[in-house]
Amino acid sequence: MWAFPTILTLHTIGLAVLIGASWMLDLRLLGIGRRVPLSAYRWVFPTVAVGLVINLLTGVLLFIKNASTWGVAFPFFVKMALVVASVATVLPMRSIVLRGGDLQGDVGGNARLLAVVSILAWSAAVTAGRLLAYTVV
Amino acid sequence: MNLAHLHLIMNHVPTVGSAVALSLLILGYARRNDHLKHVGLELLFVIAVLTLPVYVSGVAAHRELREIKEVADDAIRIHQDVALFGFAWMEFAGFIAWVALWQWRRRGAAARGLVPVATVLLIVSLAVMGRAANLGGEIRHPEIRAADAAAATAGDPKRFVQYSINQVAVYSRWMWPAAEAVHFLGLSLSFGVLLAVNLRILGVMKQIPFADVHRLLPWGMLGFGANLITGMFFFVGQPGQYVESNPFYWKVMFLVIAGANFLYLTVFGKAWRDGDKDRFTANVGDKAMALLSLTAWLGVLYAGRMLPFLGRSF
Repeated sequence: MWAFPTILTLHTIGLAVLIGASWMLDLRLLGIGRRVPLSAYRWVFPTVAVGLVINLLTGVLLFIKNASTWGVAFPFFVKMALVVASVATVLPMRSIVLRGGDLQGDVGGNARLLAVVSILAWSAAVTAGRLLAYTVV
Repeated sequence: MNLAHLHLIMNHVPTVGSAVALSLLILGYARRNDHLKHVGLELLFVIAVLTLPVYVSGVAAHRELREIKEVADDAIRIHQDVALFGFAWMEFAGFIAWVALWQWRRRGAAARGLVPVATVLLIVSLAVMGRAANLGGEIRHPEIRAADAAAATAGDPKRFVQYSINQVAVYSRWMWPAAEAVHFLGLSLSFGVLLAVNLRILGVMKQIPFADVHRLLPWGMLGFGANLITGMFFFVGQPGQYVESNPFYWKVMFLVIAGANFLYLTVFGKAWRDGDKDRFTANVGDKAMALLSLTAWLGVLYAGRMLPFLGRSF
């Protein structure tokens, strides 16, 4: 009786940690707080990893509950694709931050583009996830 | 004690509190004293935060009064509608006050015109809230009820703003889901910013000046604003889902704590003072505050997400 609400709540908390932290890095890449050296943002990656692990575990459990309907539902695959795409943006950002070291000021255009893609992909993933509750029962 | 009691206790905050904040601002202008203005703005922000429990406890009080026949339902609905406008003005004034405080902390002064704008918005809120308070008094105090007020009751229920919002919430196929999606994005943004700022206080990324994480606070405010608007849409659209739900009041309580904390992080002077501008190290008190902030936000998330399970919403 308590399991489902708890898992769902953990999924939401994981979402806030995961997306919140990765958005903070996106904002830096877009020039918000450009004085801050990139190395100061290393905390983002372990934080994202924690959020991601929480949400993969709770996500699998949530999927099991509805496997027979979600497993064949198009909106669910859209969400999964968006999550994979969003996570995929974090990996090149990690190498940018690690390579950047104490770089202050603007990052290159590619990194900024990556940040925009990341923000949009996460937004789309969250929206798709929320709409799952309405489109697939 | 029920929530009607709470409403009766707290309902003086938006009017009396605004009058005090306004007095401080006016006194600040009269004496050319920036410190008084600063305190006035801080008080204005606190009142804007406290107006949330005042409003939601008022809607709960409406439920309690439904059973009592001699109370005119229309009188309550008129009061509630004006209070909703008062709430909106109050939040707007509080937001401008916050922007002024944020700039003040960074540059030693708010942008020109910002404090006067906050003052004018506060006067408007005080006027609308004063009207709401008067209408609220008329619900139960025949001694102040104007002769024409009684005649104004019992009309078309469709004329209320609350009714229109309820219709959209119930009959629009996409508004509720869309607002929920925005609500989740807003919570990620707010939580991300507060995570960064509080982690800095707790000792992560010690090498960067506090001013640089303080720079992120307006983005937290953006997420919070989006969630206040979408959250009020849910609440006003379907109040029945929330007013009889305990986790909802827990959530409001955590929001008030989080709001107070947000103000603290905004005006927090220590990191700017003296030579430790670049290498600010937090003491135990600062760290306790940072932990309280993160706990309050986790509480908001937990109580909010548990609403359908511990309460009655879906």
